Amino acid sequence: MLEIRNLRAGFLQQEVVHGISLHADAGEIVGIIGESGSGKSVTALSVAGLLKEGAWCKGEILFHDVDLNRLSEKQRRSYKGKEISMIFQEPLTSLNPVIRVGRQIEEPLLIHTKLSSSERRKQVLSVMEAAGLEEPEKLLGMYPHELSGGMRQRAMIAMALVCNPSLMIADEPTTALDVTLQAQILELIKGIVKKRRMACLFISHNMSIVRNFCDRVYVMKDGELVETGTPDEIFLSAKKDYTKRLISSIPDGIPRRDSVDEQSGTVLEVKNFSVYYKKKKAHFYSPAELEQVVKSVTFSIRQGEMLGLVGQSGCGKSTLSKGILGLQSYTSGEVTYIQNGKKISLLDKSSKNRSYLQMVFQDPYSSLNPAKTIGWILSEPLRVLRKNLNANARKARVFEMLGAVGLSEDLADRYPGELSGGQRQRVCIALALIQGAGVIIADEPVSALDVTVQKQILDLIKELQLRTGISCLFISHDMAIVRQMCHRVLVMKNGELTEMTDLEQIK
Amino acid sequence: MDTGMKRFFGSFKGKNIYFKIGAFFLLFLALVVIVSFFYTPYDPAKMDGTAKFTPPCGAHPFGTDNFGRDILSRVMAGLQDTFIIAFSVVLIGAGAGSFIGALTGYYGGWLDEVLMRLNDMLTAFPSVLLALVFVSLWGSGTYEIIGALGIAFIPSFARLVRGEVLKLREADFVDSARLMGVSDLRIIFVHIFPNILPTLFSAVAIGFNNAVLAESGMSYLGIGVTPPDASLGSMLSDAQGYLLNAPWYALAPGITIIFLILGFSFVSEKHA
Repeated sequence: MLEIRNLRAGFLQQEVVHGISLHADAGEIVGIIGESGSGKSVTALSVAGLLKEGAWCKGEILFHDVDLNRLSEKQRRSYKGKEISMIFQEPLTSLNPVIRVGRQIEEPLLIHTKLSSSERRKQVLSVMEAAGLEEPEKLLGMYPHELSGGMRQRAMIAMALVCNPSLMIADEPTTALDVTLQAQILELIKGIVKKRRMACLFISHNMSIVRNFCDRVYVMKDGELVETGTPDEIFLSAKKDYTKRLISSIPDGIPRRDSVDEQSGTVLEVKNFSVYYKKKKAHFYSPAELEQVVKSVTFSIRQGEMLGLVGQSGCGKSTLSKGILGLQSYTSGEVTYIQNGKKISLLDKSSKNRSYLQMVFQDPYSSLNPAKTIGWILSEPLRVLRKNLNANARKARVFEMLGAVGLSEDLADRYPGELSGGQRQRVCIALALIQGAGVIIADEPVSALDVTVQKQILDLIKELQLRTGISCLFISHDMAIVRQMCHRVLVMKNGELTEMTDLEQIK
Repeated sequence: MDTGMKRFFGSFKGKNIYFKIGAFFLLFLALVVIVSFFYTPYDPAKMDGTAKFTPPCGAHPFGTDNFGRDILSRVMAGLQDTFIIAFSVVLIGAGAGSFIGALTGYYGGWLDEVLMRLNDMLTAFPSVLLALVFVSLWGSGTYEIIGALGIAFIPSFARLVRGEVLKLREADFVDSARLMGVSDLRIIFVHIFPNILPTLFSAVAIGFNNAVLAESGMSYLGIGVTPPDASLGSMLSDAQGYLLNAPWYALAPGITIIFLILGFSFVSEKHA
């Protein structure tokens, strides 16, 4: 149905896709996997005809034996949204926030068909049902912000289906969703594709999803196709080195065998700890009410221990970690740091004690100040906390730390914008270490990274932990990673903690 | 040099032709101002009863005015005054505005409420009208004009900076700085502020523009720079009575204002 021959695409003078050929047949889900920058999204956008100004593509894109690339802009438009539809990554931004959902799903029908308004309504309701939206009549008049993330993605799917397209392009359709929602949405897409005999181009960097979900897989790297085959061929008997490396980077989920030294004592004790949010006032004069988000949790971390914390999004994991760090306004309970048998309370407002506890943030693009150099960022805590160090001593410490996290010294003069995601996350880890932290709270430290980089960062954390005896509260939603990284795992649900003793049983 | 500055100066290398033209205008006019401190062809205030309304010629390239004063010399001196006033006004407006905006944006709460409502009150007045009120309280003159316009310019900068700080204070790098034990003031002015500079630069260029216009307008109304000192606006105001018999009188300061405004507009365009 779709056949791409020798597709080249790029921006201005720079070519990013170097002549790839692939095909997709009716009723087939074709996966394209690759790391960021491999050109998979550009390929998808070329097929959909959605390249931005300044971008170009050459080569043949045969769709039902018509070369889309030769059509005029006007002829091409009759395919967009009708024959070829697209599902985007971010359901929050790909729906227009000021237009009602029903109207948005109806839009392609208005453009491409001459149906009457009652026929359109019937069609919209039927695709909404097909997309698994319950009570579609009620949803028609709602705005996107009134829908949950999963419902928004279902609405996107309904919109993509409304003209009965024969090709659907899904660009990381579940990346922004929870694990359980992910599975539901994927099942839904699969069912629809099979039932309607559509073809589906499925773009993802998540290996396990591609493996379970696709009929055929293309592996892309640096704008070229590396390998192609069925999921089993790719994942079990890859021929190319790059594919092998990619696959070996997938977290294996084999539980950690070593255990914490019996002798080591507790370093962090959290007792009856609660975090509150200010409730929205009902009206102007009503008293401020607090809502308990983290409900009186108690746990402790031993020296050299890697403690996992898992739970669905919205359960309070991040709120808890920021609360312990003293970044929340309303908390109660005790947080005690124990150094050489001496108990130090961390919740009193004196900022001196904070550096025992440090954080590695999820998004390495937002956690480093874009206006400062890496060297400046890393030496800032020294300037603030250890005023006795002079400039040269600070520089030496910074270089030492860069070395410890596997970065070269000349990065010190660069800005965060000039670093890759993995390098930035290394800088964040260095920043936590340079302050002499005893416990690091890592909030989804690798979820924004590519698999190969992810593995490197995880290995680094593990190695640093074994070498320096630092403890770590490791927050993640990826069970395989938690299993292979952590000694012990806590599960959070609706603001409450339970401990999981048997790592094998986590799924 | 931080990225904001880098981007700003990087524009010289870019393809943006507007930026280059604007920068050329401004550099040329700035050069004229510097020269005017040391040299003007004639004394800008010296009258010459024998040379009233001389059309542009070799001795007086821009002609002379109703008192026989050399217009080129007066434009140079006027440009100097206008530049100094506009510069000081923007300095006061952007300086105080940034300070207020940064504090209210970062702390929020009642401080934010009080200062921003005051700000709203100032904004509700057109800035020139507001300056008029101050001038009528303090009297007219160069320093009074600077003070009056400076205060009138604070609200727009305060709003802008507040909005940017509000957005940036949620960034992880601010939390990260808090965990280091960095003080609030240092977070605001050392960590957050450099990130606002690119936006602030474009606002400053536009603000400069408005300041030149406001000064010219006020001098035109006769409450700005007092004679015999010259400013571009006061020259225009004097020239309007002689528009038909001595058009060059109005033309010289008028065209200079146009180039000044165009220069700032073009430079700010890219960053806006």
